[in-house]
Amino acid sequence: MNATTEPEPPAAAIGCGRGHHLGRALHAEWTKLRTVPSTPWLVLAAVAFTVAASAALTASVDTSLCPSPLECHEDTTKLSLGGAQFGQVAVVVLAVLAITGEYGTGTIQTTLAARPHRAAVLLTKAAVVTTTVLAAGTLGVLGSLAAGRAILPGNGFTAANGYPPLSLADGPTLRAAAGTVLYLGLVALLSVGVGTAVRDSAGAIVTVLTLLYVVPMIATFVTDPQWHERLQKLAPMTAGLMIQATSDLERLPLRPWAGLAVLAAYAAAAMLLGVVLFTTRDA
Amino acid sequence: MATTTADRHADRHAGWDGRDSFGRLVIAEWTKLRSVPRWAMAMLAAVVLTVLVSVLAASGNDYGGGGPGFAIGPDGTGVRDEFYFVHQPLTGDGGVTAKVLSQTGVEGESHEWAKAGVIIKESTKPGSQYAAMMITPGHGVRLQSNFTTDRAGSQATTAPRWLRLTRSGTSVTGYESADGANWTQVGTVQLPSLPRRVEVGLFVASPVAIKIERQFGSGSVGASPTSSTARFSDVVVAAAQPGRPAPWSDQAIGGSDRVPESLLGSATQAGGVFTVMGSGDIAPLAAELDVDGVRESLTGVFVGVMIIIAVAVLFITSEYRQGMIRTTFAASPRRGRVLAAKAIVVAATTFVVGLLASFASVLLALPILRANGLAPPVFQVPSLSDGSVLRAIAGTAAVLALFAVLGLAAGAILRRSPGAIIVVVVPLLIPQLIAGALPLAAARWLMLATPAAGFSIQQTTTQRYDFVSSICLPEDGCFTTGPWVGFGVLCAYTAVALAAGFWLLRRRDA
Repeated sequence: MNATTEPEPPAAAIGCGRGHHLGRALHAEWTKLRTVPSTPWLVLAAVAFTVAASAALTASVDTSLCPSPLECHEDTTKLSLGGAQFGQVAVVVLAVLAITGEYGTGTIQTTLAARPHRAAVLLTKAAVVTTTVLAAGTLGVLGSLAAGRAILPGNGFTAANGYPPLSLADGPTLRAAAGTVLYLGLVALLSVGVGTAVRDSAGAIVTVLTLLYVVPMIATFVTDPQWHERLQKLAPMTAGLMIQATSDLERLPLRPWAGLAVLAAYAAAAMLLGVVLFTTRDA
Repeated sequence: MATTTADRHADRHAGWDGRDSFGRLVIAEWTKLRSVPRWAMAMLAAVVLTVLVSVLAASGNDYGGGGPGFAIGPDGTGVRDEFYFVHQPLTGDGGVTAKVLSQTGVEGESHEWAKAGVIIKESTKPGSQYAAMMITPGHGVRLQSNFTTDRAGSQATTAPRWLRLTRSGTSVTGYESADGANWTQVGTVQLPSLPRRVEVGLFVASPVAIKIERQFGSGSVGASPTSSTARFSDVVVAAAQPGRPAPWSDQAIGGSDRVPESLLGSATQAGGVFTVMGSGDIAPLAAELDVDGVRESLTGVFVGVMIIIAVAVLFITSEYRQGMIRTTFAASPRRGRVLAAKAIVVAATTFVVGLLASFASVLLALPILRANGLAPPVFQVPSLSDGSVLRAIAGTAAVLALFAVLGLAAGAILRRSPGAIIVVVVPLLIPQLIAGALPLAAARWLMLATPAAGFSIQQTTTQRYDFVSSICLPEDGCFTTGPWVGFGVLCAYTAVALAAGFWLLRRRDA
């Protein structure tokens, strides 16, 4: 909010190149984001929830529950990254508040007075939020993998039983880890888009959480296998999280990257809707 | 805008005493709720989306008629009637006695509900009336009849055991004994339309073993047929009117497609000892399948409840954001009463909205489910006027109202919408997501310990049989505790949250 008190960024930027202008805009958005008291807490929550939930989930699965450790068919990478499903709640709140917070306090009018090019304002904001979330996501994913490495052998997932320790040198594991970080970034973009369209934190958070969680929940009640698979392919969370799979890929309704692309399509659609409404509506 | 209306009311009734001021407060809050167009739109969206999602989910369901090999029981419902039967006719009153020497599982461990014993059955037709005295590996001696009645004899008893059934008119009495000399009566059952001539003899059954595998992100339910062998001695069929002793015959009853040929069963007799192998079960079908049509037709409520929570939270947090709460409290300094008025208004409104949504969902989705195979005789679909259906519909509306009050209380406690939404919505969603990854006992506990337990009120199949292993998975919305326990849990959460809201509201600055 401090940034918006700088009265004339366009005037100051007249003599400079466009790059400098963009740099100032990014800096302004970053200042706004980091000075909101809830932001550090939400970033911390995103990392902590992801790691804690991953560790809890990993600890709850044991080879002793299977007839023999070899028959567990457990995707240990996916298991270790499972906490992203919970950490994303903080990501949604962070990203939604980044835009609806301005509507709530009226800062949005100052922001737009300072930078009348609205699409640029929204895209800059989205870039800053997504970058922040990608950084938090990287920490969360690395923490989750480290927790998995520590917990898994104790639960019988040892190299002797056919589960080598998790390592980013392993191609599929790297894809799952990087993909999970991207997943969280796309969830942030989706949230910024919905937040811009809805302009209200409660409505936007509920909309995004419904889209992410309720659709897969309803899919569990659908017994027709064809419909079930269709819903899994179309729901942004289940499709996007297919990137976490490292084994039995042929049993997935979509290839890992195709699944992430479904989520990317949702994020792009939400951002497009946000930009259109943002540029055509009164603030 | 809203406050001016409230003020007008206040002025008009300025001369009234305090007794009536609560009524005015309720009217003022109702005016606030209805005068925000977005909230009215959201409520409408809650109804439309609930019904739409319910109908779509119902269209995506396929029940395939319950699978092969079921029979129609005496009361017209679907039953399993599969066992190996060594029998001879009995005319008029009489009985059958046998000593079960041993009972063992074939190919692996025995099923806890494997059955071996004596039976009196109307005919060899699957689904016909019967009464049976049996011994089971896991549940001692039982007297069962007509698929749904089960009475326990001595517990923790395994073979060898003496069992006896006697028929007198339409009543059949079961006895058990440790030595064949001292008999204990287990009970008497009535088989109203039992013909004069019945089939009596020995039977062996062993149900399908249901194995539930749970992994994070996926769970599978596997069913594998089991089979059991029992040895009998001292088999005596006694008729009240003596006649020629009839020869024994044996056959597999209701040989279903589920049981491989090798497990269908057999019987041999050598030196007075019968060795009988059999597979299958004698049990109601619905309990085994455990599908609740009414609950399935209310799936869309999960979308509706999200919207309603958002409106309920905003109903108080928006006043904090705009600073209007100070005007509200200035007009009505007794803050607890303001919260009470808000709670009444939001609960009543969401109850009506929820009633509309759940009634329309059941009305539209149930026929679709019926067309997709959720129909008698395999599945029992209650009619709309049934008490349990009305309970499910009104209960769903009440659950929505409770979640609205929970949202309002969270809003009063936290004063900000994002936090209030998260603390209500996350405990509602997370158990549903992770229950499938947890061991069954932990998953059941989690579903019952969170506010989402309130949805147990949607259950209409209270008919659960302990002697049938049913597939009751908590993540599918199946609660073993019946409809009311979970509802009580949600009520308790709401009451505690509301009390905390009252306390904080009175203690804190606005």
